[in-house]
Amino acid sequence: MSKGMKEGISGYLFMTPTIFTIGVFVVIPILYAFYLSLNDVQLLGGIGYEFIGLENYTRTLDDTRAMIALKNTAEYVLIVVPVQTCLALLLAAALNSNIRGKNAFRIIFFLPTVTSSAVLTIIFMWMYNPDGLINTFLSFLSLPTYNWLADPDIALKSIMIMNIWATAPFFMVIYLAAMQDISDSVYEAATIDGANWWQKFIFITVPILKPVTFFVVVMGVIGTFQLFDQSYIFSGGSGGPNNSTLTVVLLIYQYAFKSLDMGYASALAVVLAFIIMIVTIIQKKFFGEEKLHD
Amino acid sequence: MKFNKMLAAVGVTSMLMGTALAGCSSDSSGDGGSSDGEQVTVELAGWGSTPEEKELLNQTLQEFEESHPNIKVEHEVIADQYMDVMKTRLVGGEAADVFYLDAFEAPGLAKTGVLEPLDEYVTDEFDVDDFQDPLLNAFKFDDKQYGFPKDFSTLALFYDKQAFEEAGLEGPPKTWDELREYADKLTVDEDGDGQPDQYGLGFSSELARQFYKLHPYGAKVTNENNEAAFASDKAIEALQPIVDMKKDKIAALPSDAGTDWGGDMFGQGKAAMVIEGNWTVPFLESNFSDKDYATAELPTVNGEKATAAFTVAYVMNKQSEVKDAAWELISYLTGKEGMKTWTSKGLALPTRESVAAELGFDEDPIRKAFVAGASYAQPWQAGPNLPTINNNFNNQFTSALLGDQSLEEALKKAQETANKEIKASN
Repeated sequence: MSKGMKEGISGYLFMTPTIFTIGVFVVIPILYAFYLSLNDVQLLGGIGYEFIGLENYTRTLDDTRAMIALKNTAEYVLIVVPVQTCLALLLAAALNSNIRGKNAFRIIFFLPTVTSSAVLTIIFMWMYNPDGLINTFLSFLSLPTYNWLADPDIALKSIMIMNIWATAPFFMVIYLAAMQDISDSVYEAATIDGANWWQKFIFITVPILKPVTFFVVVMGVIGTFQLFDQSYIFSGGSGGPNNSTLTVVLLIYQYAFKSLDMGYASALAVVLAFIIMIVTIIQKKFFGEEKLHD
Repeated sequence: MKFNKMLAAVGVTSMLMGTALAGCSSDSSGDGGSSDGEQVTVELAGWGSTPEEKELLNQTLQEFEESHPNIKVEHEVIADQYMDVMKTRLVGGEAADVFYLDAFEAPGLAKTGVLEPLDEYVTDEFDVDDFQDPLLNAFKFDDKQYGFPKDFSTLALFYDKQAFEEAGLEGPPKTWDELREYADKLTVDEDGDGQPDQYGLGFSSELARQFYKLHPYGAKVTNENNEAAFASDKAIEALQPIVDMKKDKIAALPSDAGTDWGGDMFGQGKAAMVIEGNWTVPFLESNFSDKDYATAELPTVNGEKATAAFTVAYVMNKQSEVKDAAWELISYLTGKEGMKTWTSKGLALPTRESVAAELGFDEDPIRKAFVAGASYAQPWQAGPNLPTINNNFNNQFTSALLGDQSLEEALKKAQETANKEIKASN
C-alpha cells in the first residue's frame, strides 16, 4: 500500500462517523422525500406506494391553498428580510459607536434571540389580545387599535412584527462582530477627508460589510421561508383566520400529519426546497460579483 | 505511528457505529398474549381534560382494575393535536390498545381499516339496545360497530340572569327571531366607543357549531358522494341570521372580546348569552362560581327544534395484541356500571338510556336542557371527508362574518376548494 493511499483510507475512516450520521439523518431522508413525492402513499391500514410520476407536482398548481400559502410566505419574506437586515445593521452601528452603557444594551438587545420562539409567540399572543398591552398602549396614544390575532388582514403582519423583533438582534451580533473587524485607519482617513458620520457609514461600513450582508440575507431568506412555529401557535395549527397565516411549511405539516398525504406533502417540500435554492442563487449573483480582496 | 493512527480511527468509528446501531435494534418486546392468570396490560389513550374529569376517569379505571385483577390499565393523555398524534402512532404500530375517537373523525379512520370491529365481542349482557341510536350509529359503518360512545354532549343556550334582568327580559328566547331581539337588547356599550362591552350573543363560527341549522331549512353539509354540498340557497338562508347579527355587532366571536372560547366569554360577562355544550358547566362552576345563569334548549330554527350532539367512543386498535383484555376494558367503561361512575357528576351525559334515567339528569335544572336536546340532536358527523370540508368552511365563513365577502361567495368558494381537495386526495 502506498503512503498516499494509507493516508486516504485513514482519512475516510475518521470521516466515517460523520458520513454515517449525515447519510442516515440528512441524505437518505432527502432522497426518500423525493421518492415519496413521486408516489401516492397510503399509510394507515397497511403501507402502500403507488408510483404516479409527477402528478403530485401538477396537483400543486391546482391547489388554491398551496397558492395562498406561497403568496403569504413570499409576502412574509419580502417584508421581513429587508426590514430585519436594515434594523440589524442600524442597531449594530449604534452599538458600535461610543455610547454610554453599550454593553448593557448589547445584552438587552440580544435577549429575544436566546428566548425560545414558542415562548415568545405565546407572550406576543398575550400582548396582541384585543384588551392586551399593545392595544392599551395604542389607545392611550389615541391611535387605532386592531384585533391582531383574529383579523385576517392583520394576523400575518402581527407575526412579521414579532419575528423581526426576535431575529434582528441575532443578525445585529453578526454585524457587530464584522464592524469591529474594520480597521480604524480607514475611518481616520475618511475623517481627514472631511466625511461625516453618515458618509462614513454609507461609503465605508456598508460596502465593507457586503459579504456579511450576503450571509445575513441568505440566512434570513431561508429562515423566513421556513416559517412554521409562530403561525402554527398563532392559529392553533389551522393557518387561519381565513388562510391568512397559512405558510408553505404549515401546509406541508397539515398534509403530512393531518391528512397523512405524505406523497403530496413531500412534493410541496421539494418545491419549497427548489424555491429557496433558486432565490439563494439569485442572491449570490447580486452579492457575489465583487469579492473583498485583502 | 501511522498504524496507531489507523487503529484509533477504526476504534472510534466502530464505537460510534456501535452505539448508533444499538439504538435501532433494541426492540425486544415481550409477548402481550394473555395466558392464564398472567397479568395483562392494556394501554388506553385519550386527550386531556379538566381535573374533575381526570379524577372521575381514574376512579372508573380503579374500579375496573379491582374487578379485573389480571388486567392493568396504562392510561396516557395526549395533550395536544390528538388526532395527528394518534394517526402517526397507528402508522408506526405504536398506538394504544384502546383509545378515544371523536365521531367527527370516525368515518375516515374506520375506512382505513385500523379499527377492530367489535360486533363479535358483544355479549347479551352488554345490552347494546340500551344505547341511544343516533349516538351508536355514529360509529357504525357497513353494518359493523367500531366503537361504543362513552358519553355525549348537546348544545344549549346559556344565559346570564342578571343581564336579562337589567335588560328587562324574562325567560329564554324561543326562536331565532326572538334570539335576535334579545341579543339586540342585551348588547351594552357603556363607554360608547362602538365596541360593545357586553355582546348579546357569543358564538363559535366553526361548522361544528353551525351545521345543525342547515337541516331544518332542508340544506345539507355533504351530498351522497361525501362531497361538500353546503353552498345552496337554503344553507344561505339558514346561516344568514348569524352573519347579520355579527355585522350589527350584537353577536360576536370569542376572539372579538379577547377570550379563547364561549364559556370564557360568558363567564367574564362579555356575552349575555352563549351557545355552548355541557362542558361549560364544570368550567363555570370552578372559574366563575358566582355567575348567576340558566340554560335552555336552543331557539327553534325555521320552526323546528334543532341542536348538535358531540360524541366520543372508545375504539380498539386492530393491531392490539391483547384484544380480549381491551374488550373487557371497553365493555366496562361503556357498560352500565362504568358509565354510571364516569357520568355521575354530570360532566358528560350518559349514552345509555338506563344510566341517564338512573342518574336523573333530566330533572337537573342546569342539565335538563342538554338531555332534552338529545332526542332531536344531529350528531356532528358527515362522512370521511368532513375534516377537509370543515377546514375549508371555517376558513371562508370567518371572512364572511368579517364582511370581507358575502355569505354566498364564501360558501361557494369553500365548497369548491373542499371538493377540489377531496378529488385530489382520492
